[in-house]
Amino acid sequence: MVMNILEIENLSFSYGNPRDMYKKNVLDDINIRISGSESVGLIGENGAGKSTFLKLLTGLLELKDGEIQVAGLELKKENLKDIRAEIGYVFQDSDSQLFMSTVYDDVAFAPRNYGKSEEEVRAAALLALKKVHMEDKKDRQIYRLSGGEKKLAAIATVLAVGAKLMLLDEPSVALDPKNRRNLIRILNELPGAKLIASHDLDFVYDTCERVILLSGGRIAADGGTKEILTDRELLEKHGLELPLSFSRI
Amino acid sequence: MSRISDAISELHKLDMEAGKRGWLQGIHPLSKLLVTLFFLVLVVSYGKYELSGLLVMGIYLIITFVLGDISVKLLLKRMKIVLGLVCLMGIANPLFDREAVLTLGSFAITGGMVSAATLAVKGVFAVSASYLLIVTTSVEDICYALRALRVPKIFVTVLLLVYRYIIVFLKEVERMTDAYALRAPGQKGLNQKVWGTFAGQLLLRSMDRAQTVYDSMMMRGYNGEFYLRCKRSAERGDYLYAAGWSAALLLIRIIHF
Repeated sequence: MVMNILEIENLSFSYGNPRDMYKKNVLDDINIRISGSESVGLIGENGAGKSTFLKLLTGLLELKDGEIQVAGLELKKENLKDIRAEIGYVFQDSDSQLFMSTVYDDVAFAPRNYGKSEEEVRAAALLALKKVHMEDKKDRQIYRLSGGEKKLAAIATVLAVGAKLMLLDEPSVALDPKNRRNLIRILNELPGAKLIASHDLDFVYDTCERVILLSGGRIAADGGTKEILTDRELLEKHGLELPLSFSRI
Repeated sequence: MSRISDAISELHKLDMEAGKRGWLQGIHPLSKLLVTLFFLVLVVSYGKYELSGLLVMGIYLIITFVLGDISVKLLLKRMKIVLGLVCLMGIANPLFDREAVLTLGSFAITGGMVSAATLAVKGVFAVSASYLLIVTTSVEDICYALRALRVPKIFVTVLLLVYRYIIVFLKEVERMTDAYALRAPGQKGLNQKVWGTFAGQLLLRSMDRAQTVYDSMMMRGYNGEFYLRCKRSAERGDYLYAAGWSAALLLIRIIHF
């Protein structure tokens, strides 16, 4: 039996007062299961609820309706620290994610918070940097990194704590083609489950084997990447377009 | 480059200088912090007419600046603002204290002049010593040393976060002023009419950025304390540095020049 790293049952969410009768659900009756090695793309037009969904999974937004289990742990306040050791969240803006002076200090931040010894911290940080091919830049000042390097450093910060599920919010934004290609290669090398929220459908095609299409806060489609990303009618119905690589054919 | 870019660049330069692999940068942060604090205490302890003795304390600054290969030019650049402030503080002294303490020919040096000069020298020395510490020690290492001295973690965390958030704040200011300047060609600075909106927007955007940084910290197990570690533990050289300078500075203070 394949172990699910993420299980979501009947998740609904709206901002503001839950008693407000005019409020509209940003997410409505979401049910998802992701296994421990799956790479899943989360797509949808602007305002579909992708970022809200990622923030709910990490406990950055309070769960009001439904149930979420991460690595067998129920998402609730007392489990947050353990859950956050299982989930790594790579923010869209790497500048906001990296706040220490050097790459090493930033990558070592999480293992230190989880009470590891300095030897364990060093080993975890160096391994994480090696996974993203940044070990030679460990002493570099953050502000001296390029956009692509910052993204890789941000990924290393979540790998250092040994996250089993990585959430990436628009990872390819503002990357040049070379850095984008490099990021695709590195993400494909990384084991473990990934949930990638992106508008860059070509990027999703290159990194994910499964796609979930969100529309109006509901799951409009859930299936194989090729099956969904080549369905012009489905994509256009939900405010998206065929990936560039398919639309040229 | 705008003045805001200059400010951001200056902060980055400080980080870069502190990250260098020089002799002085290699001294354990706790030793450097202790020597700096001791120097500041001794400088402050000089009486208002003890200018000659105070000047001898400058030996510490000269030696460490030379050995540490630290740019005096950059220090002087930063000193401009502080020096102006210090001079302003002591400007009234010559008016109130007119008693001559020394006469050079027909020119009488009054107690007020000496005390004003002493105040200025104290200010210059304090800024120089602090600059010396900052330029050779990263903010994380300074905070580590403060925690080692049992400074409450709330103060240390606030210091660290203020330093980090200053850059976040300045970057937001830069983005907004750039966007304004591009749509208001030929204008110098911000028009008074937009000050209120600008300040409000700046506050909201800074809070938004700060929230993202905080979320990022929370996602990585932050629980109210930065677990600061030094890259290495203190060695004999570090103890010697602290003990040597403390003894030398104390000796200078005791001997009346």
